[in-house]
Amino acid sequence: MKPDAFLSCQDIERYLGEDESRVHALRGVSLDVEPGSVHAVVGPSGCGKSTLLYILGLLDHPDGGSVMLESEAVSHLPDDELARRRNEFIGFIFQFHFLMEDFTAQENVMIPMRQLGQLPETAMRDRAAELLESVGLSDKLQRASRHLSGGEQQRVAIARALANDPRVVLADEPTGNLDTKNSQRAFELLKSIVQQNQMALLLVTHNPAIAEACDWIHEMKDGRIVLTHSRR
Amino acid sequence: MTPPLYIALRFLSHRKRALLLSLSGVVFGVAFFICMQAQTQGFAKYFIDSTLGSNGALIIRSRFEPRQIGSLVPSKTSKANVAHRQYFEGITNANEIMRVSRQFSNVVSCSPILRGTLSARSGFENATVDLYGIEPALHLQTTDLAHQLIDGDVNDFRNKPNSVIVGSRLAETLNVEVGDTVQLLSPGGQYRRFAVAAIARSGVGSIDSTRMYCHARVAQTLLHKPYAASMIIYKLRDPDRAPALAQYFESLFQHDAASWQEREASTLHLFLTLRLSAAITVSLVILLAGFGIFNVLTMTVLSKMKEIAILRSMGYRRRDISAIFLWQGGMIAAAGSLIGCIAGALLSWGVSKIPIRLRGLLSTDYFVVAWDWRHYVWAILLAMISVFIASYVPARRAAELLPVTTLRGSSL
Repeated sequence: MKPDAFLSCQDIERYLGEDESRVHALRGVSLDVEPGSVHAVVGPSGCGKSTLLYILGLLDHPDGGSVMLESEAVSHLPDDELARRRNEFIGFIFQFHFLMEDFTAQENVMIPMRQLGQLPETAMRDRAAELLESVGLSDKLQRASRHLSGGEQQRVAIARALANDPRVVLADEPTGNLDTKNSQRAFELLKSIVQQNQMALLLVTHNPAIAEACDWIHEMKDGRIVLTHSRR
Repeated sequence: MTPPLYIALRFLSHRKRALLLSLSGVVFGVAFFICMQAQTQGFAKYFIDSTLGSNGALIIRSRFEPRQIGSLVPSKTSKANVAHRQYFEGITNANEIMRVSRQFSNVVSCSPILRGTLSARSGFENATVDLYGIEPALHLQTTDLAHQLIDGDVNDFRNKPNSVIVGSRLAETLNVEVGDTVQLLSPGGQYRRFAVAAIARSGVGSIDSTRMYCHARVAQTLLHKPYAASMIIYKLRDPDRAPALAQYFESLFQHDAASWQEREASTLHLFLTLRLSAAITVSLVILLAGFGIFNVLTMTVLSKMKEIAILRSMGYRRRDISAIFLWQGGMIAAAGSLIGCIAGALLSWGVSKIPIRLRGLLSTDYFVVAWDWRHYVWAILLAMISVFIASYVPARRAAELLPVTTLRGSSL
């Protein structure tokens, strides 16, 4: 484990399902995510990529091994404390955007900030507007999220993941639902923001072009990282 | 505004049809509850006011003496003591009892009455009369007789010893009006003529159909009674404390004393039963409203599973998710209770304007409603409890959803 890693995991074991359908999803996975680095996790469907992402994002508990956030073991923490850490340190982006459909683009970006509770209403509005401007949506702040295109929704999701200035962004196939042009655009945007702000990005992807553009590629097979190579 | 409240408000405002459905259930439940309670308690209160206004809150009747029986040790139970009493008709030394009674802070005034049963005749009509011989000044202080007059003048009665006040339904039976004459048959078999000075309507059927008031001295002559008063009636500051005072007066004056609660126990039980029955029936409406809210919130949880998962991934705790749904229920309950209370008050007012000619146990020309803040408190309380239970289950279910399960499911 690297001492300067934001987020790392050591010997992660995870079983999914019960009885006859029980699957050994992760088998001793270890990984370090350092500031300013961009990681891609690739591999065939069902190899455990998303499961690893959820465990690293403190959404799921490992059956063995440990997850460390800024060198502090966090897997054993109570649910409320894990939620606080997610809110403060981790930003999530999912394949299907998962915007809150009853809210505007700006309000969606403000939702994590409201939970953090560090900024007053006007400051939250300003920051959300800034973030949406940085993803090229300054003219669609008040647009209801359901009235945005797929690419626009994904850009709102990126802005929302960055709302609380997290240390690490975890993305589960963030461009999987976009066309090639939009995929590339969304990824470049995300990568540049992450690198500018010295955050870290770990994304699960099936897109070889995106994986090739990352600093590190972790190839997974049958619940194991079988190969890690640097593109730096 | 807390984040869960903010999100709850938005969820509610974007599901207008569901909101309207949930809200209308609570509004109808609360409004019906208030209106039903206003009616049932209205009639009960009308009966109580009428009976207090005619017969007083407390009555002292026959004198008694403990009956001497074998046992030297008196029984500890009051029922056993009552069984061992020997009663003597009439009040002994009514003036002294009234003088002592007036020292009690709860006693406003008291009035002696000489009561007897006679036959009355007017033209070809006959009726049995419950004659009340009264001291007009004292009786008017103690009862609402002056306000119960629907025809005639109380001063005519006061100034003319040979005049009577006749109960409204008795006047109908005898077919007499103010200024007519009625004849009363004394126990000696002689008829004596009286002028009808006024007609009174207490609102209680049993009183209005039999009662006739005359002056006490005239009644004593007419009834041939050896005593001046057969009972004393009391007006109390706090009628609810009548049972305790009655018990005390019994032991103090050695006369039988009865509170209005004891006198009218069977009728009061009937009203209570009706109120409870109405309350249970209308509570079912509120319960149904609760089921409606349960369904709406359960559907919301199911339709918002992805949003719940994303909120959890953004750091919202289980209790925040739960609070989002509890707030929705709370807001429906609060708005529904407020609108329901207003609707209930309007409905009660409307019902009080419905003409109805009742001439049975009670006499009234309109529906009687009671305005009591406790009806509103109970209705709100029932709505809150019902909605809380209805919201708690979906809220808990939402909080227990595992975000990973939803996220995995959607990425397949």
